[in-house]
Amino acid sequence: MTELLVVIVGLGAPGFLLALAVAGASPVLVFLAPLLGAGLAAVAAVFELGVGGSLLAWYVVVAVIANVAVVALWLVRVRFPTPADPPWEWSVLTLAVMLLALIIPLMALRAELIGGDANSIWLTHALMVSGGHHALVAGLKNPVYSFSNPDYPPLVPAAGALAFALFGRGDLHIAPGTTVLLNACALGVAGTGIAALGGGRRPLTRLAAVAAAGAIGLVGFAVAGQFGVDGYADLLWAAAAVAAVIWGLVLPRGTQALVVAWVCAGVATLTKNEGLTTGLALLVLIALRYRPVTLSWVWRLRRREAGGRFPGVAAWPVIRAWAQRAGFVVVPALPGLVWAGLIRRLGLSDRFFASPSSETLVLRAHAALDGMAGQLAVAPLAAAVLVAGCCLLRRDRERAGLGNPAWLWLSCLASLLTIFATYVFGGFEIYGWLAYSVNRTTIFAQLLLYAELAIWLVIALDTAFTGERTEQRNVTPDAVSVAAGPRS
Amino acid sequence: MNRHMRMPGRVAQDGPSVSAARRHLGRRIGCALIVAVAGVALGLSVHHGLQTTTALLRPRAIRPSVVADRQEQCIYRAIRSDLPKGAAVYINDPVHIQRLAELSTLWAVPQPSRATARWTIALVPGSSRAPGSRAGSRCYGLELEVRRT
Repeated sequence: MTELLVVIVGLGAPGFLLALAVAGASPVLVFLAPLLGAGLAAVAAVFELGVGGSLLAWYVVVAVIANVAVVALWLVRVRFPTPADPPWEWSVLTLAVMLLALIIPLMALRAELIGGDANSIWLTHALMVSGGHHALVAGLKNPVYSFSNPDYPPLVPAAGALAFALFGRGDLHIAPGTTVLLNACALGVAGTGIAALGGGRRPLTRLAAVAAAGAIGLVGFAVAGQFGVDGYADLLWAAAAVAAVIWGLVLPRGTQALVVAWVCAGVATLTKNEGLTTGLALLVLIALRYRPVTLSWVWRLRRREAGGRFPGVAAWPVIRAWAQRAGFVVVPALPGLVWAGLIRRLGLSDRFFASPSSETLVLRAHAALDGMAGQLAVAPLAAAVLVAGCCLLRRDRERAGLGNPAWLWLSCLASLLTIFATYVFGGFEIYGWLAYSVNRTTIFAQLLLYAELAIWLVIALDTAFTGERTEQRNVTPDAVSVAAGPRS
Repeated sequence: MNRHMRMPGRVAQDGPSVSAARRHLGRRIGCALIVAVAGVALGLSVHHGLQTTTALLRPRAIRPSVVADRQEQCIYRAIRSDLPKGAAVYINDPVHIQRLAELSTLWAVPQPSRATARWTIALVPGSSRAPGSRAGSRCYGLELEVRRT
C-alpha cells in the first residue's frame, strides 16, 4: 500500500504545477494532478512507440517541457481566469468527504485482486512499455499476444510501467494497484465537480453538494463492482469521461471548467478504445457548448458578400469559429489519435472487428439491446427526475449558469450508441461477449445517470431551501434571464 | 387556478397570492420528490457498493485471491529462473497459454509455432511432469515444465 501511495505521489508530482495552473487551490487539484501525471506518461508512451527510446526518458522530457511551459506562462503573467477559490473550510470539507468516500472501496486493495483483463491486457502491456521501444513494438506485433488487444491505448500500461520503474518488476501487483488508485482519482475529479455545484449557495445546499460528491465516489466503485478494484481500466475511462461531462457540459462555462474537462476527456481517450470514441464525442459536444453554432453567420455572410468585393474576408470569422471548434476537439484528443494512428501503421487492428460474425444483425441487435438495458436500471429513474426537474427547476438551473441537461443525455446516448454498434457489427459470439463485458462497457452510462440524479438533487434542495425567494424572483423572468447572461 | 380564471373578480383580490402559494407548494412537493427519488437511488447504490467492498474483504474471499496472486508471482519468477533471457519459447499448454505468455513478457519470447522455438513450456499439476522434462519451480499446486525442443 505504501508503494502505491508513492507511485500516485510520483505521478502527481509532475502534474502538480499543471493542475495548480488549471484548477487553482480547489479540491479538484488533489485528484487532477495524478491524472495529469498519468496523461504525461501516456504521451511519453506515444513517443516511445513512435520515435524510440524508453518510457522513463520520454516521461522526463515530456514532464519537464510541460512544467517549463507552465512556469513560462506564469512568468509572463498569463493566468487561466479561474473563479475565486472556494472558502478554505469548504475545500477541506470537500476533500475530506471525497477522500473518505474513496478510501472505503479502496480498502478492497487488501484483497490483492488481479482480474483477467488486468493480467492479460494491462499487466502484459505495462511490461512491454517498461521494456523500451523494441520490446514494445516486438511485443505488440507478436501474434501470440493477440489475446491482449494490442491496439489498446497506453495510459494504464504507461502508469504501470512507471510504477515498475520506481519499485522494479519484482512485485507485479503494483501495476494493477496503480490503475485502481487512478480510478479513484478520476472519481475524485467527478465528485469535486458535483461539489462545485454548491459553490456560492447557502450552507445547507453546499453540504448537500458535498454529500452528493461523496456519494458519486462510492457509486462509481459500486457500479464497477469488483472491476473497480482488480486492475481493470473500465472505471478509469468511464469516471474520467463522466468528470469531463460534469466539468465541460454541466458546470457553468469558464476556462477552468473547460480545461479540467479537456484533461478528463484526454485521459478517457488514452485509456480504452471505447474511451477514445466516447471522449471524442464529448469533446465535440463541449466544443459546441463553448462555441455554439448559430445560423446568424449564414445571414451575415450573405449580407457581406452582397455588399463587399472580398467574400473571403467575410467568411474569415466563420472559418475561424470552425477552426476553433476543431481545435477544441483535436488538441485534447491528439495523443489518443496519434496512438491509434501508430497502431494502425504497425498493422494492428481492433480484434472485435477482425472476423465477420455468423449471427444476423437483427439477432445481435436484439441481444445487445437486452444486455445493455439490463444494466441501465437507473435510466427510468433518471429520466423521471429529468422530466420533473425540467418542468419545475429549469429556470433555477439556467439561473445557476448550469448546462442544459440535454448535453448530458446526448453524451450518454452517444456512448451507448457506439457500444451498441460495436456489439452489433463486431465479430465475437454475441451472448458470450455480452456476458463478460456489458457490465463494464455500460459503467459510463450508469455513472453518468447517477451523476444526473446527484445534480438534480442539489438543484432541488437549493430550490426547496430558497423556495420563497425563488418564487418571488420568478415573477420577473425577463430580468432573471438578462441577469443570468447567455444561455448554456 | 381554474377557479380564478372563471372568477376574475377574485383574482384581483386574493388570486395572485393564492396562486403563488399553490405554485410554491407544488414546487416544494416536486423538489421533495426529486430529492427523494435521487437520494434513494444514490443511497441504494452506495449501500450496494459498501456490501461489495465488505464481501471482497471477507477472509473467505481474500484467501483464494491472495493464493492466486502469489501463484502468479511464483510462475513469473520461475520463468525468469528456469529459462535464459531472450529464450524463444513455445507454450505447449492450451489451458495456460495466456498466463504463460503474459508472465514471459520481457524475459522469454513466445513463438507462434514450435518450429521457431528453442524451448517448450507448460504448467502441469504438482508432480505430473512429462518424462525428460526439467524439474521446474513449484507454485501452489502448479509446476512450470521446461523442455528443450
